Amino acid sequence: MTDNAPSLSVRNLTKTFGDKTVVSDLAFDLHPGEVLALVGENGAGKSTTKNMLCGLLLPTSGQISVAGQPVERVSPTGHGISAVHQELSLFGSLSVAENICISDLPGSAARVKWDQAEQIAREQIDFLGIEIDPRALIETLGAGKQQVVEIAKALLHADRVLILDEPTTSLTAVEREKLFAIIDKLKAGGLSIIFISHFMEEIYRVCDSFVVLRDGKQVGQGKLADVSQRTLEEMMVGRTLEDARVALGSPSQSPALEVRGLTSPDFHDVNLTVHRGEILGIAGLMGAGRTELAEAIFGLRHATGDVLIDGKPVARNVTAMKANGLCYVTEDRRTNGLFLNRPVRENLSAAAIAKYVRRAMRGIGFRGEKAKSAEMVDEMNIAIPHIENHVSDLSGGNQQKVLLGRWLSMEPEILIFDEPTKGVDIGAKFDIHEAIAELARSGKTVLIVSSDLPELLHITHRLLVMRKGRIVGEVQRENYDSVAIISMAASSGEEVSNVA
Amino acid sequence: MQSATKFLKSYPALAIIAVLLTGFSLLSPFFLTIGNVEAMLGANAVVLIAAVGMTVVFLAGGIDLSISTVISVSAVASGLVMAATDNVALGAATAVIVGFGFGALNGLLIGYFRMTPFITTMATGLIARGLAFVFSSGIAVRGTPYWMLDFGFMVWFGIPAVMVIALLIVILSGTAMARTTWGRHVMLVGSNEAAARFSGINVPFTTFSVYLFAGTLGGVAGFISIANLGNAIPGVGDTLLLIIIGAVVLGGTGMTGGEGSVERTILGVAILAMLTNGLNLIGIPFYDQLIIQGILIFLGTWMAMKLGTRRES
Repeated sequence: MTDNAPSLSVRNLTKTFGDKTVVSDLAFDLHPGEVLALVGENGAGKSTTKNMLCGLLLPTSGQISVAGQPVERVSPTGHGISAVHQELSLFGSLSVAENICISDLPGSAARVKWDQAEQIAREQIDFLGIEIDPRALIETLGAGKQQVVEIAKALLHADRVLILDEPTTSLTAVEREKLFAIIDKLKAGGLSIIFISHFMEEIYRVCDSFVVLRDGKQVGQGKLADVSQRTLEEMMVGRTLEDARVALGSPSQSPALEVRGLTSPDFHDVNLTVHRGEILGIAGLMGAGRTELAEAIFGLRHATGDVLIDGKPVARNVTAMKANGLCYVTEDRRTNGLFLNRPVRENLSAAAIAKYVRRAMRGIGFRGEKAKSAEMVDEMNIAIPHIENHVSDLSGGNQQKVLLGRWLSMEPEILIFDEPTKGVDIGAKFDIHEAIAELARSGKTVLIVSSDLPELLHITHRLLVMRKGRIVGEVQRENYDSVAIISMAASSGEEVSNVA
Repeated sequence: MQSATKFLKSYPALAIIAVLLTGFSLLSPFFLTIGNVEAMLGANAVVLIAAVGMTVVFLAGGIDLSISTVISVSAVASGLVMAATDNVALGAATAVIVGFGFGALNGLLIGYFRMTPFITTMATGLIARGLAFVFSSGIAVRGTPYWMLDFGFMVWFGIPAVMVIALLIVILSGTAMARTTWGRHVMLVGSNEAAARFSGINVPFTTFSVYLFAGTLGGVAGFISIANLGNAIPGVGDTLLLIIIGAVVLGGTGMTGGEGSVERTILGVAILAMLTNGLNLIGIPFYDQLIIQGILIFLGTWMAMKLGTRRES
């Protein structure tokens, strides 16, 4: 390791947003020709790290050195570091050549030399060994070829380090092998690569070394040859929930919510049953189709198949679902949950407002809206001076409680929660977990979708694991094993496994 | 005292009104005479009625650029019917139906076919303007019943009858917005359309209904314009659009949706009414007035942004 300076060296790298530390004290070296796996659960800080390394985010403190030279601020084109992001960043209506050369088109501002741009693009693509016409429009290419164009574009500026963020999620098995061959070729040419992936097989296939992040901290690093997959996964999951145990009741045997053969472009033939008093979790990686499934059950998305409540089929639209006692607490409270510039009172009553109408006065006025809202504020332990305060004035945790309170005031029988504690502090998280457990204890039926596996292990009776739009496994609480569940969610095989 | 400042802070339009009131009454002895105040009230009923419709559309997060020329076309249609039948009730019904029709068209295209409000209402507005001129051959429709002329000068409870009608519309609309599920749905759709959908609110229908409401009020305003002017004029709405939008915004209803109220719009209309009337009295030419109006709308919006709709925490 002393033969030459590392292409990239990171010391004490830290990023904070406000008072929240997202990444702290990272330290690792990356040598020419080395492929490093950056692994961790959702929210561990991988993306933030990637963005600091490729210059999209400025580190709060710490040092990044490129080829032995400390760098003040990584420039997207000037330091030989480029990233291929998880979401492709190509212009669909432009040609391959234009996309590859977009940051530095040859010629002058007034007259681009297109033949030269095409020449550059052709060289880049030929080097990667894939057949693509530089004049083709991006939108006419498949996902695999688009990925290759992304890499070709990144390589134009990456002569030292290439960062690949989940590069295989949209690829077929054949395309994946082609990508690995490209990585091997680049590696042989002395390029350093940082490979971010959830898929363990891929990591062992292409990487030499690893860095594990958990809750923004570096909890392990070394050579992949020295660790088993199991050890690596344990490092990623690591923590146990340190907050107090919640008391889970015992579910009944009578089915409350049944989903039969639900199919849409995002998921395929989903069958599930939740019993009265049961908390069922759905685990899976981002993009597995969990949110889409939850929204489809509530009637917010088109799908085919049946949803049964208490054994009777219910039309899949929000009005019918609400009328049958089903509600859905959205994942993204700011985008499709809350009315930020409206008072807490109106946010709490939004789903139930028709219930407050005074029939006697021909629909004028809302009787009991204020009282009910104030009651929900107490019950949910929402910290606000007044129910007329705007929701935008509240903290994330209190906002989440308002959203929860909106649906609880409907007195639903079945609740679907999507990421119920995303972005809330630990105190609010505890309140929300307790509220969910209490719902189930009192005989309500709960379905939870969450990316936070420890949370699911903490508050569910039973787990379904979803991968690429299919339910691939079912685990009973007594058999909970986070490592097994993670590998089930991430395994690239297609076979259905059953751990229970 | 503190609550008084708080009140002023949430209604910055009141401060502007106070300044205009004092200023003009000092500059012109006629400004506060009964005759002048009555003239001001009568002349602004049309704007107020249309501005109420526009406010509701704004609260739902949309815009209706067609409302001004819907005033024109419904006035012309109403005028033609009255000239032919000499029946005022039939004329009023015609105006309302024409406005309702344009509102339904806008609502259908925007609410159910998901077209952009700006482009859609601009296009229907053009059609309305074209129809107004085609039907009337470009000149005032003659043969308005005498009762309509009298109606324009009627005074109820010391207020011009047309303004009484406008104020009734404000009260009814304000109540509907604050105290019915429809009003609440409009506010919530304007605040966050996706969240409204996720809460089970019928977003397409709510959107449809606000344009229907605005169009219908455009029709009512068109009918009232005949009482004001004595004839149905095909170009009556042409200059009104910016005054209507200006009044809504000056009153403190934002264009982003979910913030503001129908009652506030009275203040906005009052500001622009006093400004025009006062400047006329002290002899400022029309085009100079436009400059002052523009500056005032800018100032008022800025103040509303700084103080008005911001919640005191």
